[in-house]
Amino acid sequence: MGVGSIATRLLADYGAEVIKIEDRIKLDMPRRLPIYKGGSRAFGEEEADPNPDLGGMHNNYSRNKLGVTINMRTEKGRELARKLIAKSSVVTENFAPGIMEKWGLTYDALNEICPEVIYARMSGFGHSGPDMEYRSFGPVVQAVSGISHISGLPGEEPSGWGLSYMDNQAAYYNSAALLMAILTRNRTGKGTEIDVSAVEVGISLLGSVMLEVSANSRSTRLEDYPLGNRLDHPLGAPHGVYPCQGEDRWVAIAVFSDEEWENLIGAMGHPSWSQDESFSTHQLRSQNQDALDQHISEWTKQHTPHEAMTILQRARVRAGAVQNAQDLNEHDPQLAHRGIFFEMDHPVIGMARFEGSPMHFSGLEQDNWRSAPLLGEDNHYVFKEITGLSDDEFDQLVDEKVI
Amino acid sequence: MASDSKTSTQPYAGLRVIELSDDPAGEQAGLLLAQMGAHVLKLEPAEGCASRHTGPFAGDKDDKEFSLAYWYYNSNKESAVLDDTGDGKVSRLKALLKDADIFIVTKQPAELEEFGLDLNELVELFPRLIVLSITPFGLDGPWADYLTSDLVGLAAGGPLHMCGYDDHSIPPIRPGGNQGFHTAASFAHTSVLLALLSREQTGQGQLVDVSMHEALAVTVELANPYWFYPRVLVRRQTCRHAQPTMTQPALFQCSDRRYVYFVLILAENKAWSSFVNWMDSKGLAADLIDDAFNNLEHRQKHMAHIHGITESFFLIHDAETMYREGQERGLPIGVLNAPEDLLEYEHLQARGFFDSVDHEGVGPVQYPGAPFRFSAFSGVARQPAPALGSAGPVPAGEEVE
Repeated sequence: MGVGSIATRLLADYGAEVIKIEDRIKLDMPRRLPIYKGGSRAFGEEEADPNPDLGGMHNNYSRNKLGVTINMRTEKGRELARKLIAKSSVVTENFAPGIMEKWGLTYDALNEICPEVIYARMSGFGHSGPDMEYRSFGPVVQAVSGISHISGLPGEEPSGWGLSYMDNQAAYYNSAALLMAILTRNRTGKGTEIDVSAVEVGISLLGSVMLEVSANSRSTRLEDYPLGNRLDHPLGAPHGVYPCQGEDRWVAIAVFSDEEWENLIGAMGHPSWSQDESFSTHQLRSQNQDALDQHISEWTKQHTPHEAMTILQRARVRAGAVQNAQDLNEHDPQLAHRGIFFEMDHPVIGMARFEGSPMHFSGLEQDNWRSAPLLGEDNHYVFKEITGLSDDEFDQLVDEKVI
Repeated sequence: MASDSKTSTQPYAGLRVIELSDDPAGEQAGLLLAQMGAHVLKLEPAEGCASRHTGPFAGDKDDKEFSLAYWYYNSNKESAVLDDTGDGKVSRLKALLKDADIFIVTKQPAELEEFGLDLNELVELFPRLIVLSITPFGLDGPWADYLTSDLVGLAAGGPLHMCGYDDHSIPPIRPGGNQGFHTAASFAHTSVLLALLSREQTGQGQLVDVSMHEALAVTVELANPYWFYPRVLVRRQTCRHAQPTMTQPALFQCSDRRYVYFVLILAENKAWSSFVNWMDSKGLAADLIDDAFNNLEHRQKHMAHIHGITESFFLIHDAETMYREGQERGLPIGVLNAPEDLLEYEHLQARGFFDSVDHEGVGPVQYPGAPFRFSAFSGVARQPAPALGSAGPVPAGEEVE
């Protein structure tokens, strides 16, 4: 699913030969998600028998990789997988716990097939502890690790996350873990098993609220928590998301000092309310945020999000249009300048956009050599050229539906 | 410094990092390197860096040595004061960089110019140095000097648009915990690793320019593909995926007022029967045990009815029980833990996840450990963040040319 695909995507982008092993019977979830050109459905409403090569999510996650199919339910399939592992130097998986063990693919077994292998296990709960077999996907990880609870309006149900943020973050941490293992193996000659738990990554991202709880015994279950869009540390006032022209359009504004406040009211033309005693210090503005937010909203409502952002940023105020994917892709001049999105052709989908890299190196380039493989597209190359199957052996595996 | 690097069990053993960062993105990147064995020297202005002053504070003691934000992001580092007002600060800095492997810097282009620092020049002066620039918008482009914050970054970068409540008269709500900065830090970490691996091959360092704005613009999961392909926008929904259409709620309040997250994918027969059997085991499945509900179309037609029964089912049991029982039945259900629950979580205790750090005058404080585990090597346990300037003064630099 997401975590494994995104984690290895980074390695593929920067030159590793990444071979993705897939199952023809049970398609990888990103291939099944109903995100197609010309058709839109909520995910969770996928077709019963989808075309495996049409899915946009898969194209985005598996570009620059090779793709093969193996039926791991068969002994011949598992034997082929072992042959392929013997020719590799890194193995990654993010199955539900126990699946790789069922196939005999433990670290010790892999290390015998492929000495000093790096074996990365990307799971929700980690590969030890009483709950190691618990099932998870992004939102479950977000719930259990606490990062949903700390997000929302005070006294209301948590608003949490509108995306599987932890699929991305766990993937980024897994990429780093893989690269650390490679760096270390280059130095010491030793391989390793890697165990990254997405829940633990989530907890490590909670920030200083975790220490408020452990050092100050703060309760985060009282009516004053969480703070919605307000912020105590550093103290922000105003600090919020304000309505703009257009349906469901908003701008975020954050003011942390008297100087920034002067810049803000200057940009708004020194409205008379801003001279009110109740807004005369940062502390007072913080205490009177309800009233302050009303006044700010009256101003922001007269502007589009991007107008408000531009006016305020030019006056040295921290402000950002709340951008949707259309804004990011079609209107954002900064992203366009930096070239974060790029396009490649795909034999079934046609030209498509991709998420590029936010890392710009003076001495390295992302190698975008192909869009995502069709299902089993690289079986010939990988099984004949890399694993060394003869034509007859290959044809037999095709006939027996092993590949 | 590098003497033990051949045999050491830490990935970054022997690496010397100089950190000149004043936001959580740079601090978190330095922390990740420190936790995995690098020697990180953090340079601070005479009054201490921003996170010493923002709080929250241990024991609510408003003191730069008691800031929990500083502790959180700067454990395992050393601290030295680099007076950023005085003459000679650049030559002092360069003297430190001469022996460094990595330089973390969060200054935006105009700030760099004001400081008198040219990052390209550093790479030329010190060919093995990896200069890691982490900025709100990147080192060039029309927004390069725009100001940011975690909220502003999440807004402009895209994730904020997806987060909030079903009721769209309520603005999008920022997810907590500096996740905009943390997303930039994750890419910063990966980029340093790629640069280190590249240096092994070429002997050359390089300049790495990481943009928080771009890091967030590629961390929006479904939103980009839904725009790339069907060209539709996703809409935010309470604590569940933003999607092109509104879906059934996924948060259920339990008898103890805590919540669980649970999505019943109606199309999955196995999950459906597990769930109905679970409710039936408590005599609460109502008419959902009727054969008619084995049919997907029937389930879809009666989604609201199913949701009502599900709500009642959760409401009369406590959240922990629902989490445990659901998971035992193979259902991907999550309890919404609060940070304080995590300290008591048996699974984490069994894995030894939290590090206890003794702080003078405060006592032991539980910190999350490094979320990486390797069978062949390890990181470093959390150590207290340094007192301001405790590594001693930065010596006056000779001219490095």
